[in-house]
Amino acid sequence: MNKIMFFAHLRDRVGEESVTRDVSGKTIAELKQLLEEEFGLKLDSVMAAVNEEFASDDEVIQNGDAVAFIPPVSGG
Amino acid sequence: MSERYSRQTLFAPIGKEGQEKIRSKHVLIIGAGALGSGNAEMMARSGAGKLTIIDRDYVEESNLQRQQLFAESDAAEKMPKAAAAEKRLKQINSEVEIRSIIGDATPEKLEELADGVDLILDSTDNFETRMAINDISQKYTIPWIYGACVGSFGMSMTILPGKTPCMNCLLKKIPIQGMTCDTGGIIAPAVQMVVAHQAAEALKILAEDWEAVRTAMVSFDLWRNQYTSMKVSKAKDEGCLSCGKDRTYPYLQAENMMKSTILCGRDTVQIRPPKELLIEFTEIARQLKSLGYQVKGNPYLLSVEMEEQRMVLFKDGRALIHGTKDLAHAKSIYQRIMG
Repeated sequence: MNKIMFFAHLRDRVGEESVTRDVSGKTIAELKQLLEEEFGLKLDSVMAAVNEEFASDDEVIQNGDAVAFIPPVSGG
Repeated sequence: MSERYSRQTLFAPIGKEGQEKIRSKHVLIIGAGALGSGNAEMMARSGAGKLTIIDRDYVEESNLQRQQLFAESDAAEKMPKAAAAEKRLKQINSEVEIRSIIGDATPEKLEELADGVDLILDSTDNFETRMAINDISQKYTIPWIYGACVGSFGMSMTILPGKTPCMNCLLKKIPIQGMTCDTGGIIAPAVQMVVAHQAAEALKILAEDWEAVRTAMVSFDLWRNQYTSMKVSKAKDEGCLSCGKDRTYPYLQAENMMKSTILCGRDTVQIRPPKELLIEFTEIARQLKSLGYQVKGNPYLLSVEMEEQRMVLFKDGRALIHGTKDLAHAKSIYQRIMG
């Protein structure tokens, strides 16, 4: 199983800080697409971290990995 | 050295030696809004040798909740933020050389300002400018510190050319901007938390304590009690067009820059002429008044009231059209007045 965490406005959209899904074997790009369909998110410019380390779109998620989605914000 | 910085030099990682280094450095701050106010005040109080601060906007009442360098009088007089910041910073620390620039931080302008700069502090509100800062940083080997906030959320990352990945490695393209700015508002503690992270990194860099520099991107939410740190070293991309082997600095190319921009969350469009102008206000104000427009102003800007919109014109020909998000409409208003 995998814990998937959401930050900033993504959390508001999902309605929860994190969800649990079995997504091992999938790439970050594939997970983004699943989440886009399930929650109506736009994730193409959102950064992903696996176990608190930056992950590119083609990284494969392993069982037990914690995945976080962090949107770059622009306000200042 | 006077007592002024004694508490900072007592802090062992800085010490007298670090303080002398800080005193010899030049920091360029892009933006004098919430983050710019906070960062500039920290740098001035810390005794940085020289500060250059650039901003295109002027002070409004809605800024006062979080933009710590400004007072009610600045909003009432519609003072340009850069000028109001300079005045206040000089009151705070007269030993620091302060230079303010009222204008847009275009790639062209950034190239001009980069000369002799030791550190760039990002305090902008848009990724178009940040990507240009990122390219400038790589081109001239100047560290820069990203900072941004919305609502109760904020984030920061330090970019050291040749060591860390750059912003273009991480993002690959400019994120869609409207997504977060319009809806969330902003609370002042989120600003201060970002400033704290940026200013601490700045002190490390100015004091040349390179080992202490944070190599992760931090993000936090002060309302939802989240704090996370993401290691980014894996993101470094050898094929990156900003920092890789065959770099082209894509965000410094003029054809990539828009001439009109919708300002984040403000119902405002900025129009920038292709070349900087030097406008004589007295003549144009007279003409506009004779056409029946209500015109107010100060030495830096002219405010023209229309039926639905308000146009604020700066000396360099740049204008803010308030009350619209329609680029074409804003351009037509501009051209109606400027020809």
